[in-house]
Amino acid sequence: MSKLYQKLERIVSEKRISNNLYIRHAYSRNVSSNLQGVPDLVIRPKSTEEISEVLKIANEENIPVIPRGGGDCEFGGSKPIGDTGIVLDTKSMNSILNLDEENLIVTVEAGISWGKLNEYLCHYGLYTGCLGPGSGMTSSIGGGISHHSVGGGGCAKYGACTNQLVSLEVVLPTGEIIETGSQANRYSKIPFNRFGNGPDLAGLFCGDNGLYGIKAKVSLQVFPKPEFANYKTFLMPRKSLEISAQIMNEIRQKGIDIYDAMYFMDLVVSLGIQYGLFPMWEHLKRKRGIIFYTIEANSEVELDEKTKQLDNIFLNKKAEEFGSEISEGNIAKWHYEEQGHWLIAHNLWGLVPGFDPVDAECKVPINAYPKIMRDLDQWDLEHSEDMQKILEITGMRPVTGSGPIIMVKDNNVELTCGFSSFTSYYNGEKHTIIDEINIKLWKSLLERLVKHGAMFYMQGDILSRLMVDIGGYQKEFYELMKAIKNVIDPNHILSRGKYNF
Amino acid sequence: MEAKGDEGFEIYFSRGRMNVLKSILEGQIPLSKELAEWVYQCSECGNCTEVCHMSQNPNIVLPTCNWIDHVKVWEALRKDLVEAGFAPLDRHSNLIEYMDNDKIKNPYGEERNKKLEWIEEFPEIKDRGEFMFFGGCTMPLRQVDTLRSMMKILKVAGKEIAMTKEEWCCGSIALRIGDEKSLIDIVKHNITEFEKKGTKTLFTACAGCYRTWKKDYPELLGEELPFEVKHITEILVDLLNNNQIPFKEKEQEEVKVTYHDPCHLGRHMDLYDIPREIISKIPGINLIEMKRTKNNAWCCGAGGGVKSQFPDLALKISEERIKEAIETGAQILTTSCPFCIGNLGDAYEEIDASIKDKIKVVDIIDLIASKL
Repeated sequence: MSKLYQKLERIVSEKRISNNLYIRHAYSRNVSSNLQGVPDLVIRPKSTEEISEVLKIANEENIPVIPRGGGDCEFGGSKPIGDTGIVLDTKSMNSILNLDEENLIVTVEAGISWGKLNEYLCHYGLYTGCLGPGSGMTSSIGGGISHHSVGGGGCAKYGACTNQLVSLEVVLPTGEIIETGSQANRYSKIPFNRFGNGPDLAGLFCGDNGLYGIKAKVSLQVFPKPEFANYKTFLMPRKSLEISAQIMNEIRQKGIDIYDAMYFMDLVVSLGIQYGLFPMWEHLKRKRGIIFYTIEANSEVELDEKTKQLDNIFLNKKAEEFGSEISEGNIAKWHYEEQGHWLIAHNLWGLVPGFDPVDAECKVPINAYPKIMRDLDQWDLEHSEDMQKILEITGMRPVTGSGPIIMVKDNNVELTCGFSSFTSYYNGEKHTIIDEINIKLWKSLLERLVKHGAMFYMQGDILSRLMVDIGGYQKEFYELMKAIKNVIDPNHILSRGKYNF
Repeated sequence: MEAKGDEGFEIYFSRGRMNVLKSILEGQIPLSKELAEWVYQCSECGNCTEVCHMSQNPNIVLPTCNWIDHVKVWEALRKDLVEAGFAPLDRHSNLIEYMDNDKIKNPYGEERNKKLEWIEEFPEIKDRGEFMFFGGCTMPLRQVDTLRSMMKILKVAGKEIAMTKEEWCCGSIALRIGDEKSLIDIVKHNITEFEKKGTKTLFTACAGCYRTWKKDYPELLGEELPFEVKHITEILVDLLNNNQIPFKEKEQEEVKVTYHDPCHLGRHMDLYDIPREIISKIPGINLIEMKRTKNNAWCCGAGGGVKSQFPDLALKISEERIKEAIETGAQILTTSCPFCIGNLGDAYEEIDASIKDKIKVVDIIDLIASKL
């Protein structure tokens, strides 16, 4: 047994550390099976202090540490880059530490999932507003904060989950523990505000993709869930891509406080119906794009008024309203009432066995997405030859497009665009060529999106490095990121390799 | 998926095991005895299929649930481990040996005739007929009182049954472990024996036997069985609906009951409503559901060979279920599977004495019989 293992074992119990081959492989991939990195060992600390001790030893031994929350990143964010290092699994740190009902702030250990936290909060009539990422059923609060996550619901109203952040307890890569915002004042008894006591250092760790520190405790604003809600789904007219963007823009321009709006491209609707995903839409003669909205209100009067205003926008654009029940096509009801939030965002990924996401999660201005999506069609055509090679092996061509296009606060949308392809193990055989094509096309697609000015927020292994490789970063921005990294993580222990650090 | 206690590594969850499986299929890592130790710590409850991209609404059928059956995946992996010589694990080997032994033919290692002893109390049980009972192994060898309760109910309902003394273990244990070398013999033997007796309906009080007879036998043979297969709850609900079970007229104070869905009855066979219908028809009983119920029910922890090979893990899982039942305020935790009863009962013995008085674990058959 290695010296490193023995040192670490003294920090956590023997049952919370493993260098077992099978356990290491269980942690070697995240959502995308194209990206793999087998760690040397896996450790599951139970406290901030244990994380701190692990990082101090990692520095002594010069071994990288990859923090892991729910492990739901599509871009290899919580697996090693290369076959080395320690995966630090934070899922054991999943307690709710305090609910301050008066000030509406909840403090949790960062490993708890969005789903679990919201289940707890609902007993108090509360929720987290933005419900984290589309994978919120398993993804952790710490992971969400590390990626400015959106997609799990409430994003049009509340924006990225980091908007709700009040304070953080973070373990720096060298093992020091810091608290941010109001808690930077050592006399402050409860977290109550992120902004003050100097610069917004919490912001340094928001969306850092695990680069600058490991989140141990998180305090979030929580909100009373309004008593009234309405949700409607519409079939779009022709040119639904452009018209959906016009609708979203008009909602923003009129200042209507909307909770969620999502647009399903024609392709998603027709393919989804073809593969039996949406029995509620099977009756449609015209399989065009579909859009829904959800609004919340504190009174019936407010709800009626908002509904009227929104209906005007949708109906003026010749959108046709579905019936109010889920069985009548109203997917918005399922999304809001039955917690479809954490299921719908990635509806094509498992369409057939072996189908895998090769995509990008990015934010773009509302008025930019029709052009981007049209260009993706063009990109697909340009790579038809490679797509054809995959078809020849699997009998099905990869599908290029976007999952639901999700309206986000700040007049943006979130695109989960790219292509769904096959994993290289297909029909009892490993086809290395599929891996090669996937990675080649993935890089090409990401480059195309970067050049459209898309803003990636969950970057992981592949996206963080690609941005650097293709010169996507403004030079000074990247140099500052690097300088900060060098100061707080001189040995590049944490998430070594991301952003080429 | 929330990591609890020491069993929080990804390999304890379906997702982590799928990653391991990918690495095996890609030739990166081998099958081994060590791997078998992980693989068999799964109760094959099927909950992973329920939560894997499952919309829980018939109008939205998200992709993976269209084609993935995790239990089948785990069973295939177990078969591979057996074929490669890394399984069965030691205690599972014993079960298989007992099951294959002509003098035993049950996984408990008891002499074959012991399974038949309880029948001597009931001379009214015929040796052939259209309505045949398959006793299985667990109840005749470990829970005879419940069989007595069943006979009490059937007697008051005027329902005659028959049995064959030649039944063998259904073979569920071999299927779950993945060691199927003598399984086809078992299947053919059992079907032939019941066919010879003129069976039109075979019923069983064991959820595991029910799944094996109704789902696995036809799949293994590639053809339908020559008779129908029912679970005892399907029989009881008919008797109740036909007013054939006369309950005591005067009832005492209302009792709160919660129902645990056995995996082999619920998720594996989609039989959720009938046991609840039964409970709703028992006078003086108020059914309260647990937080995780029906297709989302928490497993008792006994299935898939966990109870025999990893008894501490089985108990830990079961304790969680009992605590969940106590949270409902119910005084009785009932279920309709002898395996669940056995494991929940064992966990009940282990739990803190201070909460023990709050609840009792009772088979649904005993619950009905207690009201006659």
